Amino acid sequence: MTGATAGHSGVLKWYPRTWRDRYGDELVSLLDDTYGDQPVPLRTHLSMMKAGSTERLRWAGFVGYSGEPDRRVRGASLVVLCAWALFVVAGSGFAKYAEHWDRVTPLHDRAVPSDAFTAVQVAAFTGVVIFCVSTLVALPAFVRFIRGHGWAPIRRPLSVMLITSSIAMVATVGIVVWSHHFGSSPLNSGLWPYKAAGITWGILVVSAIAARAGAIVAVVSRLEPSPRTSRALGILALLMAVVLVVVFAGMLTWWISLAIHAPWFFGSGIVGTAGSRAPPAMIIFGALMAVGLVLGTCGASRVVLNLGEFSPSEHG
Amino acid sequence: MARSTEPPGLRRANDPPLLILTSLAGGPKHGYALSKDIEEFAGAVLSPGALYGAITRLEERGLIEPLEEIGRRRPYRITAAGSAALAEAVHEMSRVANVGSARLGLVRGILV
Repeated sequence: MTGATAGHSGVLKWYPRTWRDRYGDELVSLLDDTYGDQPVPLRTHLSMMKAGSTERLRWAGFVGYSGEPDRRVRGASLVVLCAWALFVVAGSGFAKYAEHWDRVTPLHDRAVPSDAFTAVQVAAFTGVVIFCVSTLVALPAFVRFIRGHGWAPIRRPLSVMLITSSIAMVATVGIVVWSHHFGSSPLNSGLWPYKAAGITWGILVVSAIAARAGAIVAVVSRLEPSPRTSRALGILALLMAVVLVVVFAGMLTWWISLAIHAPWFFGSGIVGTAGSRAPPAMIIFGALMAVGLVLGTCGASRVVLNLGEFSPSEHG
Repeated sequence: MARSTEPPGLRRANDPPLLILTSLAGGPKHGYALSKDIEEFAGAVLSPGALYGAITRLEERGLIEPLEEIGRRRPYRITAAGSAALAEAVHEMSRVANVGSARLGLVRGILV
């Protein structure tokens, strides 16, 4: 882009670079003609923020039908990945919350929740395997990108990811050492300093997962893998979407089964006492997974739609 | 640039793509001229973001094409595919307008 008026070119920051290179000058010229030396009104600013964000989402293949099908498949696969990140956050909380559920559940009522819990564990492990395979599939394109462009374009999201992951890891080690020092987890003591420490640790872990997902999206959006690689990533995303469905269904079955047969697990934990069937923690985990499931379903549907647009020559 | 298969957004009279195609059917124009022309014949004020979003989509679909830049202004012209899409959209709208006019007892046959 050349010759953009300094006063109005600021609004272009909302748009992706490729779009700015193509239309930036024209848009700034339109703003100059419309507003002259006056600043761009707030309403126009907001409208351009919306339009620019939409272009970014389109450019990344998240929405719309712009660009090649393989970019759209990649964008949709990343939507599924973000859904999986939500499941990782909710699933970690759920795993911690559900610890020792079988100890307070009568033996004859354990079969259904036990099968459901096993299904969640197997599906979660499968999800990790799919994620690792996806990373390996995308690795050659990543190496090509680094050879061609260096680390500069992705330094920022990777730095944020490394910093948040390091802080979360140090905090986790600190919490574990602290727990061992006390003999039992101080986070379960009910005292507010420990609760505050637990909440802070949770926020750090969630931030690290979010930063990791953000970094992956930022990196993969910039890669230029072959159509075959994009297709493979799309198929892996579909498998991941199935994993999300199994995890959600398993969690829901476990929850309903326990709410019916052992509601005290969600209360005092003492067999035979009353308990809440919808504890806040489970509502939060369930809501997070539900949002993730909707996101994952949208991404998977988009993968299916766009996989169909690959031409035969691109399949090779 | 790959041709998009996205629906063109030419169903309603105030759809920005339809307004842009209608304006360009009268001759090539750049962004500001398009904006003023649309305001004049349709009374619709398109924000710069909406205007260039629609221009981007129309160009992707091959319904308009850019001409040589004049300074920093780049005029666009309607393509044959764009004219065909506009003609189809206008025909569809005319049919509805004619039925509406007839049922309201207004003058018939004004719109073809």
